[in-house]
Amino acid sequence: MDFALTEEQLMFKEQVLKFARKEIAPRVQEYELKGELDWESWRKLGEFGILGLHFPEELGGSGADVVTSVLAAEALGEAGVDGGLTLSYGAHTYLCADTIFSHGTEEQKRTYIPKLASGEWVGCMGLTEPGAGSDVASLRTKVEKKGDTWVLNGSKMFITNGAIADVAVIYAKTDPSAGHAGMSAFIVEKGTPGFSVSRSLKKMGVRTSPTSELIFDECVIPETNLLGQEGNGFLMAMRTVEWDRSTLLAPFLGAMSYLIQKCSKYALERVQFGKPIAHFQAVKHRLADIKIFLEAARSLVYRIAWCKDQGKPLNHLEAAVAKLFIGDWSLGPTNDAMLIMGGYGYCHEYDVERVFRDSRLAPIGGGTSDIQKILISRLM
Amino acid sequence: MNFEWTDRDRELKAQVKRIFDERARKELDVLEDEGTEATIKAVTRRYLTLLAEAGYLTPGVGPQRREETLGLMAIQEELAQISGSLFLSVEVTARMFAGIVKGFGDPSRTGEVTERVQRGQAIGAVAVSEPSRPGFSGSMYTRARSDKGGYVVSGDKDFVTNGPIADYLAVFGRIEDKLAVFLVEPGDDGLSMSPRLKTLGYNGLAVCSLKLNEVLLPSDRVLGPFENDAALDFVRLTENFILCVASLGLMHRSIFSAKAHAARHEREGKSVIAHQEVRFKLAEMLTLLQSSQLLTYRAGWLYGNSDREAATVVHCAKVFTAEAAERVSGLALQIMAGQGYLWGNAVERCYREAKYAALAGTTSERARMSIADDLLARYR
Repeated sequence: MDFALTEEQLMFKEQVLKFARKEIAPRVQEYELKGELDWESWRKLGEFGILGLHFPEELGGSGADVVTSVLAAEALGEAGVDGGLTLSYGAHTYLCADTIFSHGTEEQKRTYIPKLASGEWVGCMGLTEPGAGSDVASLRTKVEKKGDTWVLNGSKMFITNGAIADVAVIYAKTDPSAGHAGMSAFIVEKGTPGFSVSRSLKKMGVRTSPTSELIFDECVIPETNLLGQEGNGFLMAMRTVEWDRSTLLAPFLGAMSYLIQKCSKYALERVQFGKPIAHFQAVKHRLADIKIFLEAARSLVYRIAWCKDQGKPLNHLEAAVAKLFIGDWSLGPTNDAMLIMGGYGYCHEYDVERVFRDSRLAPIGGGTSDIQKILISRLM
Repeated sequence: MNFEWTDRDRELKAQVKRIFDERARKELDVLEDEGTEATIKAVTRRYLTLLAEAGYLTPGVGPQRREETLGLMAIQEELAQISGSLFLSVEVTARMFAGIVKGFGDPSRTGEVTERVQRGQAIGAVAVSEPSRPGFSGSMYTRARSDKGGYVVSGDKDFVTNGPIADYLAVFGRIEDKLAVFLVEPGDDGLSMSPRLKTLGYNGLAVCSLKLNEVLLPSDRVLGPFENDAALDFVRLTENFILCVASLGLMHRSIFSAKAHAARHEREGKSVIAHQEVRFKLAEMLTLLQSSQLLTYRAGWLYGNSDREAATVVHCAKVFTAEAAERVSGLALQIMAGQGYLWGNAVERCYREAKYAALAGTTSERARMSIADDLLARYR
């Protein structure tokens, strides 16, 4: 066992941290209040290479390993990049682009990956439906083969980047009677007749990330837009879990470092009863608890990334443990940070309540904590 | 980075496991509940010999072998799963006592003591804590003065694990203001021991208080005086690691017992493990165990690599694992209900033992203060 990161990995994390602090963090509050994606930041993420980090160079990426990708996502959180932007990045790069990269034909890869890696195009993934979330087998979006086309009908709910996406990976039932084996994945481009965004959803946190309902009404796509093998959709969706439990959780680790930094500085400056509040035991204990959570969570996330780098099949138990731990145990530390900063913590200006709100997604998105508990208890 | 134990680690784990067959486990169970000083001494001696033959007693002894800390944890966790009391007794002997003597003693004077301990032929104890003394503001009032070519030691020590069964006791104190360690043996004139202390948990341990009243020691039984407190820092850090692993072992035992009970105990016509409220508790327990394991291993790795953050992460691990063990044993007891509440039950024992890790070594409160001080110093 060895927890060492390479010099290159550490240097790259430092570069991302500097870049994000300078180029992205200064606009976070403005866009968070507006509830809009910051397109300038998006463009800069693309220019820096974050959006296509792990893709091969010939497709516009940098060929980074998964641990490096996790460190980059962690650095974004540590720099104070909001959970909305990191969520949009995660959905775009890992849930959409990587699914095309991992299962697509050479032509599909050449068509979409360079545009997605640069950020020229935005991607999204549609799995959840108004009536089917964790219970994936009960999807109702149907797709029928008609000649040399597929015809999609149904709707998708809570779709990150849905309203701004140029391309979507959509899961639908090719054989409604076959359960998981009846699910397939398709590439649907913006502007395809019959594909529309029904409404954008207002959320408690991750507000800069647009979340939408997508409608497919007799939406006709070419036969060639089938992604991978027909009937393999469920397995493809499960493959994204590796990214979901590593790179998409990593910003939460970074956010804890961000809170430690903000709370430490505040506690040293804020004077009450004649001395900085950093001198009070209760404040110190809260600060320590944020650090303890960060250190306990860190290796759970790195382990998933390392296993993927080694080509090991995903250990679903370890993945669920990582998701459950970060989902449920992150609530305490974000609350501690608000309490350290008191009334200022409750105000938007100090950016701690934003992390508090963003973190509420952790036990919900990508498989709720209850689903993780079901999985863990089944597998243990 | 690598999240797998080496072949050598796995081989040693298997060797340790082989020592403890069903008969041995039953014997240790009886020891936990009904052990007398004589039986504890006999059983500890026997297993020390067997563990020495398996290569358990030599890794990671003394700060010079700190790079073995992480690998050592693999076998420590194996023993800690089997018996909490035996684990603590063996570790106090092998890592704390032998670590001090080997790490800070002159081999020409203390080599024989070290050899006996590492061959499993002697039991060691370490005496650091002292009862509070009104008006005394220093950290330790056990003192020695030079006399008759040796030293005369006086003082009091509390909570000395292995005290009543030890062949050697390493007693911390001061010569003038400098730290020193006095190698005391039972039967030395002026040394008296309290009756064995009754404790809430770890009832298979023999613990006592010491009184040293003008104990005359030749200078070859004195380590130091030292120019700094490194020996004290070492013993505290070693104790914290031992307590982290003790908590891991305790969580293993709690989960094993609760899961087995839940699988065979029926309510409403089905095993209680089929009920979500029980399964969710088990999931939480395993999540706490896995996060505790990785945090402890990483702390060990940081220490082994002399990382500047090691001390802080060790404290994080100590607090987290201790509190996780309390939570896990509490949940296990809840799952087992009346059966778990019966005296002598493995989970009832774990529940009583769990508190120890939070208050022994660096207490959770002191550890949190230390973590916060380290964080605040970075932003001061």
